[in-house]
Amino acid sequence: MSFPDLILDPLSTPGVLSAKLWIRRGSSVDPVGQRGAHQLLGSLLSRGCGPYGPMELADLVEGCGAGLRCDTHEDALLISLKCRDSDAEHLLPVIGWMLNQPHLRQDQVELEKDLSLQALQRQREDPFHLAYDGWRSLAYGNGGYGHDPLGFADDLKALQTNDLQELATTLQSQGTVLALSGTIPARVIKLLEKHDCFQSNGDATGSMASSAALSTDTTETLSLREQSTEQVVIMLGQPSLAHGHPDDPALRLLQAHLGQGMSSLLFRRLREEHGVAYDVGVHHPGRAAASPFVFHAATSSDRAALTLKLLMQTWTEMASQPISDSDLALARTKVRGQLAHASQTTGQRAERRAQLRGLGLPDDYDQHCLAVMDDLDPTRVQRVASRYLNRPLLSLCGPSSTLKTLSTQWMAH
Amino acid sequence: MDGPELTHQTLANGSRCVFAPLPDAGLTCIDFWCRAGSAFEQPGEEGLAHFLEHMVFKGSEHLGAGEFDLRVEALGGSSNAATGFDDVHFHVLVPPEGAGTALELLLDLVLEPALRDDAFRMEREVVLEEIAQYRDQPDEVVVQQLLAACCSNHPYGRPILGWEQSLNASTPETMARFHRRRYRGPNCSVVVAGAIPDGLQSDLTQGRLAQLDGPGDAITDHPPELHFQKGRECMHVERLEAARLLMAWPAASADQQRTVMGYDLATTLLAEGRRSRLVDRLREDLQLVESIDMDLTTLERGSLVMLEACCAPEHIEEVEQEVKSILDKAASSPASEEELERGRQLVGNGLRFSLEAPGSVAALTGPQALWRTPQHPLASIDDLEAWTADDLQAEIFNQMQPEQAYTLVALPGNEN
Repeated sequence: MSFPDLILDPLSTPGVLSAKLWIRRGSSVDPVGQRGAHQLLGSLLSRGCGPYGPMELADLVEGCGAGLRCDTHEDALLISLKCRDSDAEHLLPVIGWMLNQPHLRQDQVELEKDLSLQALQRQREDPFHLAYDGWRSLAYGNGGYGHDPLGFADDLKALQTNDLQELATTLQSQGTVLALSGTIPARVIKLLEKHDCFQSNGDATGSMASSAALSTDTTETLSLREQSTEQVVIMLGQPSLAHGHPDDPALRLLQAHLGQGMSSLLFRRLREEHGVAYDVGVHHPGRAAASPFVFHAATSSDRAALTLKLLMQTWTEMASQPISDSDLALARTKVRGQLAHASQTTGQRAERRAQLRGLGLPDDYDQHCLAVMDDLDPTRVQRVASRYLNRPLLSLCGPSSTLKTLSTQWMAH
Repeated sequence: MDGPELTHQTLANGSRCVFAPLPDAGLTCIDFWCRAGSAFEQPGEEGLAHFLEHMVFKGSEHLGAGEFDLRVEALGGSSNAATGFDDVHFHVLVPPEGAGTALELLLDLVLEPALRDDAFRMEREVVLEEIAQYRDQPDEVVVQQLLAACCSNHPYGRPILGWEQSLNASTPETMARFHRRRYRGPNCSVVVAGAIPDGLQSDLTQGRLAQLDGPGDAITDHPPELHFQKGRECMHVERLEAARLLMAWPAASADQQRTVMGYDLATTLLAEGRRSRLVDRLREDLQLVESIDMDLTTLERGSLVMLEACCAPEHIEEVEQEVKSILDKAASSPASEEELERGRQLVGNGLRFSLEAPGSVAALTGPQALWRTPQHPLASIDDLEAWTADDLQAEIFNQMQPEQAYTLVALPGNEN
């Protein structure tokens, strides 16, 4: 058992400290038949750990006016704490207890399981979620990225407390990263390194079989979700590169060019030139493997054919023609600006630092990326697009008659 | 007191400029606020305030379509806007070295929008798509129904996005009239928060904003005070997957800061965190709800408190009974000192933690500067600390009772 890989980012703040613990076990390594297990485990970490029962822990955290949560991502569980620096001494050890000694009490497991099942059902109200769910399933199949971190209802129902206890012993098998940003009291770090909270009672070397993020051999390229909505949500995209892949900076530039800000190509083309959609953009999160690269738009049925045509045209152009030098320069500036925008708060700074090290990337990865981008020319960006964005998958959610028309359009393409 | 020390200046035309320096910030936020929310729309103008917010970005007399976005984003910045019931604001977030240019561009765009006919017709289609997108979200439909019922005959009961009929009938000329009527000196404030480069202060106070027309008839053009309607209804909503219990209460208007902070504290005691009364009882103990939240929406002509519980349809009656019982208990006995202190910490830290980013400082400072006198972003904590358990019971919880509320029960599916 070792202390997490520690990153300190001292900053002058109005007495605020943010802590992020990146645990390299996320929903992509949910065991077979247990989709949703990491999310359920993550939600239980703050329901009793170390010396604190569920309500004692709530009393401690809420009594300090602090925020404590655990979010389950595809590649990691992320524990977040935000508090005043004067409360850090009492609150930071909680992160260690959550990691090392979660109680996983039967009554709390049943409660969280029920809440997860209800949340899964409520997700179905959102057509964007349904469309993305369809795309994800098409793109990743039974692979680790093929399901929402909340999981599948049948798998969740079957999960038992001992399954979660076993899973909890694997939390540190791939290591953890603790990033602190803000006003960091020096004595707290010394105290933390020796604190019992970071001593594990479990088998820290346990490991679970992990499923590949990308596991689909289907030839299907279309997913349809019928809903009695006014609009149809269109998602067009492809699993692409890992965050940190040498060619990913080229895709980041394309994302900025196509989808970042009101000067982006999709915004101009769909909103300003044709007025067919309000919500339009590119989804390209940083993942450990095969990150999604997805265009999304929602439009009324009578304009759905035009919208799909514009999205497909834009997709094809990425690989068939270079962007202009001025567009490339603007994309570089946007990426640079976005880095400044995304590091305004202690929470944002701590999370990015934890994420980079959590994904095995150097601390100066963002600066390195900017340097790589400076050397990329339009032809090189086009070559990367033609190599990695050459088999788009389409997911649609909306009224059945519109889906039928769009399916025909897609198949004819 | 932690956080930025504000300076402010009122110009001859009544516009107000506020500066909130955060020397360690890497960005500058310039946030233009105007008393031109949807509540200021007259009959036939429903949706015009929000539509104008869209149209502002379509160019000005000096900036072509898309030129503003291009130039701000080429500075490494971003821009956005939001329309509320009372006010609208337009903001840019840029590196400090681009702040002077961004200020000039923003004021040019907001104060002299071109409202070109072709752009007007195209952007109206985008707004209609935005309305359709909201209608496809059943939870939004339910909340709008509640507002329509409890704020009937008041602009707060209308969707900010407006009505399709009014939007389709609108023209660049009707929009220009709305703009001329509302975008006048005393109705406008600009907040600059974050890294403030030398010269920006004088650029703002001596620049385009100072040339804006004076009051005209702007001062007398207030929407009416909210007369809250209590009541109860049940509706069925297609595509709703979980039942909702929504309750709304009237609360003090934004200018009554002490009472507003009392409502903030009361809703925190009831529904923020696992130890809050409603969450503790309904989610943790009885396990009847998936979630239960309370929100305070602070408004100039009468604020609103809203409660929303999500649960399985078969639990909805029991949930409503339990909520009633908890509200009744809150009115009949004072909160413990420990509970009160927990609430003060949660509300106070919510404010303290929002002082990290220039954008959130501007969002906190803007409405205060626009409607009243600029004050330190944490000044309201003094009001928070002054509330006692007895005062809360008498002044807040006694008003927040089921019989004072508008209650809406929304169930999945068709009525038949």
